[in-house]
Amino acid sequence: MEDRGTVTVLTPTDQPGPAPETPTHLSPPTAGAALADQLRAQLAPDRIITDLTRLRTYECDGITGYRVVPALVALPESTDEVALVVAACARAGVPYVARGAGTGLSGGALPVADGVVISLARMRRVLDVDLVNQRMTVEPGVTNSDITKAVAAHDLYFAPDPSSQTVCTIGGNIAENSGGAHCMKYGFTTNHVHAMTLVLPDASVVTVGGDGAEQVGPDLRGAVIGSEGTLAIATSVTVRLLRKPEAVRTLVADFASAEAAGEAVSGIIAAGIIPAAVEMLDALAIEACEAAVHAGYSLDTAAALVVELDGPTAECDEGFARVEEICLEAGATHLRFAADPDERMLIWKGRKAAFAAMGRISPDYFVQDGVIPRTRLGEVLARMQVMADDAGLRVANVFHAGDGNLHPLVLYDAAVPGESERGEHLSTAIAELCVEMGGSITGEHGVGTDKACSMPKMFSEDDLAVMKRLRAAFDPDGISNPGKIFPTPRLCGERPGPYRVHPLEAAGLIERM
Amino acid sequence: MTESLTQPRPETAGTGVVRPTTVAEAAQVLSGSTGSVLFRGGATQLDWAGRVPDPDLVVDTTDLSGVLTHNPGDMTASVRAGTTLIALQDQLAGAGQWLALDPPTASAGATVGGLLATGDSGPSRLRYGGIRDLVIGVTIVLADGTVARSGGHVIKNVAGYDLAKLVHGSLGSLALVAEVVVRLHPLPERSVTFTGDADAAQATAAALALAASPLEPAAVEWASAADAGRLLVRVDGTEASVDAAGRSLTELLAGLGVTLTALSAPDATSAWQAHAAAVVGSDDETVVRVAGLPSDLADLAGSAQDAARVADLRVVVVSSAALGMHTVRLSGGSPTGHAQALTQLRGRALERGASVLLRRRSPELDGLVEALGPPPSSADLLRRIKAEFDPTGRCAPGRFSPWF
Repeated sequence: MEDRGTVTVLTPTDQPGPAPETPTHLSPPTAGAALADQLRAQLAPDRIITDLTRLRTYECDGITGYRVVPALVALPESTDEVALVVAACARAGVPYVARGAGTGLSGGALPVADGVVISLARMRRVLDVDLVNQRMTVEPGVTNSDITKAVAAHDLYFAPDPSSQTVCTIGGNIAENSGGAHCMKYGFTTNHVHAMTLVLPDASVVTVGGDGAEQVGPDLRGAVIGSEGTLAIATSVTVRLLRKPEAVRTLVADFASAEAAGEAVSGIIAAGIIPAAVEMLDALAIEACEAAVHAGYSLDTAAALVVELDGPTAECDEGFARVEEICLEAGATHLRFAADPDERMLIWKGRKAAFAAMGRISPDYFVQDGVIPRTRLGEVLARMQVMADDAGLRVANVFHAGDGNLHPLVLYDAAVPGESERGEHLSTAIAELCVEMGGSITGEHGVGTDKACSMPKMFSEDDLAVMKRLRAAFDPDGISNPGKIFPTPRLCGERPGPYRVHPLEAAGLIERM
Repeated sequence: MTESLTQPRPETAGTGVVRPTTVAEAAQVLSGSTGSVLFRGGATQLDWAGRVPDPDLVVDTTDLSGVLTHNPGDMTASVRAGTTLIALQDQLAGAGQWLALDPPTASAGATVGGLLATGDSGPSRLRYGGIRDLVIGVTIVLADGTVARSGGHVIKNVAGYDLAKLVHGSLGSLALVAEVVVRLHPLPERSVTFTGDADAAQATAAALALAASPLEPAAVEWASAADAGRLLVRVDGTEASVDAAGRSLTELLAGLGVTLTALSAPDATSAWQAHAAAVVGSDDETVVRVAGLPSDLADLAGSAQDAARVADLRVVVVSSAALGMHTVRLSGGSPTGHAQALTQLRGRALERGASVLLRRRSPELDGLVEALGPPPSSADLLRRIKAEFDPTGRCAPGRFSPWF
């Protein structure tokens, strides 16, 4: 699941991974120093960071292979202060990058050298809760989980549930259009936002969306959500809250092959059931998860499905009985039913531990995030196996099987000469295989820095040129998070580093799927 | 309107109509012509917002139609934009699926592309979302003939900007919607509609109570009537679940003084047809769409009635109650009265934070009242987007005047 946002608690010693590829400045360059002086006069001085040690806290997001130290970090506390910082950047022609919790997995919050990072971490207020109309207005630094916590007592919740949800922020969710394990049924952030206050790159403040379910004119709210911080900074967000479902039912079904598990998923869809979630793990992924979490998955199975249904009790129970039948018809060798909420949470804990758990079975690995039409799963698995064999590497698989979102984990050992390069090449080839199959290079992690160079595999020059027209309308000077989404010769000459466990992940604060 | 032209002839006075059959043809038509252009699908929503006076060219998507792909196992389909929703639903029904949209203009031939351009939706939006939530990919043709695609054929996809959202609600002012990819839903095994008398205050309470319950109704609609009004509540599900939900919601609303009864299938069909017709209205009416907070239903319905009374007009309010979307139809009286009522209602609705879109009005109203209310804070941004996508301003000039 996408992990988004920013981490303000990291120190350089917390940061694993390779040494920075970009030279770091021993002192901020002149433009940065002038900007820092100016901003210190306008914001409280302690909210402008230029100290190199502290700046390095912000040098990367959740994908630690890319690192750039910014010239300064600003910590605004209001819409007006964000606008003030953006205005200063615009006047000075200095690029800026907005940052939430720094948990993103595509380098979307990677700073620009000599640029400014605008951290929204101090904007954490809940501005309004409207229980009657089931909505809530928050500042961008509020975490995804805290939205739900604030209204849980009233049986309401915020549906998008990226697995980093205890740390990632709503601002980051907006940048990345975050989904979660339950997005097949409930959709993504874009389906759960009524309105936003935006600071545009010219420092003007606009409202998009509104109280009503319909707005007059183009859907700017929808255009901005998922634009990875390249169009605007959201400084307040009104989210839609849902009533908690009456019932939730979860099972784990083991299968002798991934193909058989895939058949079960097809059977569930064909029966007209829309599960809240369907997740698949292969043997290698189960091995790693069990080593890390001991969630009770079978170690002797080729593949396991986690199927969850929710909704009104009668509908949920009827569907669940049908899911059980379908799994057995598809050859399930073992079924495990979550007896209570604790067992359900344990099953999910095992599933969500997948990325971090890979360290148990491999010294290094790349995380991939491709999407395929779900019906082509068997074909893609076979092709991936051949590709992995050719590369002489192992690939562990965890999928959001319901919506075809694959997270193949390419395992390698950086200490073995040539394996990093083969692993990186294999990972990119898998993403591009997804496009060939009619899918996408990214289902939830975003394009960011990491996949910008694969965009031409998915979109034509004209497609990208028209998207750039939208960017030009918002940001004619290209100062808002430049270098992301769109391929540039400079970027595409560089190589990404390996996936590393994020410090917060290692500390058990966040999880990934 | 000259219907015989097959190639754009901008030098010819009056309006030419072209009917491209492919995206490439549509691109050729636009790159090979100049002058103002109106994109037209089923022509069911052409009166929304500002008028486009005498376009030099009409690009009619009637022949840009057909289902391109339908992958039942992936629950996705792609269509050329001129495909009518009805034709699409017919084809999908064979696989037990549908595009979960039921806009009131469907029976009059609304097209999938037109629905994306207007953002229109119907009662089922409550459970399934609007077209903005169901479109997963789009191909557009810009005024200069540039063809661009965003999204794709998979439900989960965050690569690149979402151009489908940009054209959603743009009413043809930015680009031609040429192809659309949608996610599908299984047709419900069973649907049951319940009805009961309710005034605006009861309808508000009922809608809020249903939203706060775990019942997940598919639709909660209300229409005013001479003797207060009537609720329509639909539940989708399986044989057993629909019965269980029906019992629960009947009990819930009884506590609010609303007595619900289940309609037979034929009666439900006619009730929903009549409801859709009540949203569409007719040529001699002023039809205004107001969207606000669900809790403001009674207030907004009251404002509509006040505005009508002052101008001595008849008024009908039809609401997607749980969504806070209302269609207000004004009839009778004089054009001046309509203008006065529109101004008063719009002012009141905007004060409440609602959005207001003028959907229909007689030509006599045009000189008397602005089609759009005051510009939003994003008006400058909209102007810049318009300038990037349509630098010569040829797409639907006047549609969003004076905003952009």
